[in-house]
Amino acid sequence: MLSRRDFLKLVIKGAIMGNFCELIAPSLAQSVVAGEVKKLPVVMIETGTCTGDSISLDNIWTPTFSDILSNIVDWRYDWSMMQTQGASAYKVLQETYEKMPNEYILIVQGSMIQRDNGHYNHVVFDNGKLITGLELVRRMGLKAKYVVAIGSCATFGGPVAGYPNPTQATGVQNILPERRVINVSGCPAHPDWIMGTLLHLALYGEPELEKFGRPKLFYAETVHNRCPRRRDYDQGIFATDIGQKQCLFRVGCKGPVTYADCPIRRWNDHLNWPIGCNTPCIGCTEPGYPDLMSPFTAHLPDIPFPGGTKVSTDAIGLGVLGLTSVALVGHAATALYNGRLQKNLLKASVKAPNRPSVKKVKTIHQYKLKKNMK
Amino acid sequence: MKQPFKMRKPVLIKLKRASIKGEMVLFQPIWVRIFHWGFAASLTVILLTGLELHKPANFLILNYGKVLTAHLVFGWFALGFVALRIADALIQRDNSLIPKIHDLKRLPKLMAYYFFLRPAPPPSRKYNSGQLLIYFSWFLLFLVASLLGLVSYWQGKHLIWLWHLVGGFQVLRWIKFTITIYFLATIPVHIYLSSTEDISRLQAMVTGYERKPPNNS
Repeated sequence: MLSRRDFLKLVIKGAIMGNFCELIAPSLAQSVVAGEVKKLPVVMIETGTCTGDSISLDNIWTPTFSDILSNIVDWRYDWSMMQTQGASAYKVLQETYEKMPNEYILIVQGSMIQRDNGHYNHVVFDNGKLITGLELVRRMGLKAKYVVAIGSCATFGGPVAGYPNPTQATGVQNILPERRVINVSGCPAHPDWIMGTLLHLALYGEPELEKFGRPKLFYAETVHNRCPRRRDYDQGIFATDIGQKQCLFRVGCKGPVTYADCPIRRWNDHLNWPIGCNTPCIGCTEPGYPDLMSPFTAHLPDIPFPGGTKVSTDAIGLGVLGLTSVALVGHAATALYNGRLQKNLLKASVKAPNRPSVKKVKTIHQYKLKKNMK
Repeated sequence: MKQPFKMRKPVLIKLKRASIKGEMVLFQPIWVRIFHWGFAASLTVILLTGLELHKPANFLILNYGKVLTAHLVFGWFALGFVALRIADALIQRDNSLIPKIHDLKRLPKLMAYYFFLRPAPPPSRKYNSGQLLIYFSWFLLFLVASLLGLVSYWQGKHLIWLWHLVGGFQVLRWIKFTITIYFLATIPVHIYLSSTEDISRLQAMVTGYERKPPNNS
């Protein structure tokens, strides 16, 4: 079986060569055939989602997603990929829950809708009763061997939890505080990040996680640190508009605050990535996306005010400085007009209140006796 | 031969008193002055480089690696000056920068003075209540900004609890920007008031000494 060290090397090599799954799949399939690794039972529950992560995962090339499903993992329940539907599909999920406790991996895609006990997000029909995503994820999550949240919505709430968040959407970790949730963030998550995490779980258990519960394999460095345009930034060569080939920092690139290995792994089978297309990174892997990252062409997020108005942070800063300037000029003018300024400046030079003038009023003559008078 | 000049004693006393332009008192000890000017210079560089790093100016073509280095180096300098001031305050048992309740009670009267509703400011300790509030807030906010600066410098490798508390890099960036705006809004107020209210205080921050008016006894 592949050692963990070799696996980590393949993660980096695969990122650079753009064929991570192709590199890892043969040895893993051999291990599965040899019985060294058990086929991983996986269930995927989709809650408040656009299914973008499933589409992203389907873009694995090569091997294809079907190769992975048939040779490497036991992909048991996934309503986007299953041929069956309705009660027969739900039966598979129930069987996994009852017969494979602490064996299966639960993948959650989509945010957790909390408002009105989650009744704006029904995910299955169980004996005539609608089950909410909230309830199903909690039930399945408590018995899963590992819980993996994929995509921005499942990890930190994502666009569904955007301001004003009418459905009170949140990430999986917040509704499953008893379990450590492995977050594979991104909008969508890169197929290598999803599959690499699953393979690490199958082969070596839980990967080392960073500060927000994301595997360090993929989220250890900022986009900025590995960006091929970093030299432009260091030398102060900036694009002034989207579409230019210099560093996109000035047009709102979130690379400096975004942890992901996009610069080396790239997207669509290593073909390209946002900065390669001369558009700034929008920070989709970070908590608070998209509210904290929008507008995508400015560094700092707009500040919401009551009534739904949003004002840019830079405008607020300039406004505060403008007000201060106006206040100081006004104060100085008033102080000059009513004499306070002159009074304060004169008061500061300390002298005696009444300097006496001296004039000679009397001359005292001293007389000496002449010698011959003695 | 020059004749000796004699003056009556009461006139002499009066003249001597008149020639005294006030007693010289040490108002700002040397370490306070070193801190003040060192911190002011460092903070100026930090704020300017921070703004440049936040939003590169169109009219400047700077080496950003060097701007970042200057930001970090002067951040450490400023922290050093703050440490010096704290050590001096502890050794001298100087609590003149810590606001007390009775200082804050005088704030409305002081504000009334600044808004031209009173002819004179209320009596105060070394610093008035407005100065105390601003200086103390600078001290706290500078320490917060420094801590956040270290968090962003280490990029989540250390001080992870603070990273969680803040909620991510973008929030951290926003807090630092807000603190910068607070400094940029209050520093001009400090400069304006110190140069228009009592200029001898400004002189004392250079020479250390201030003249006190003589007692009219």
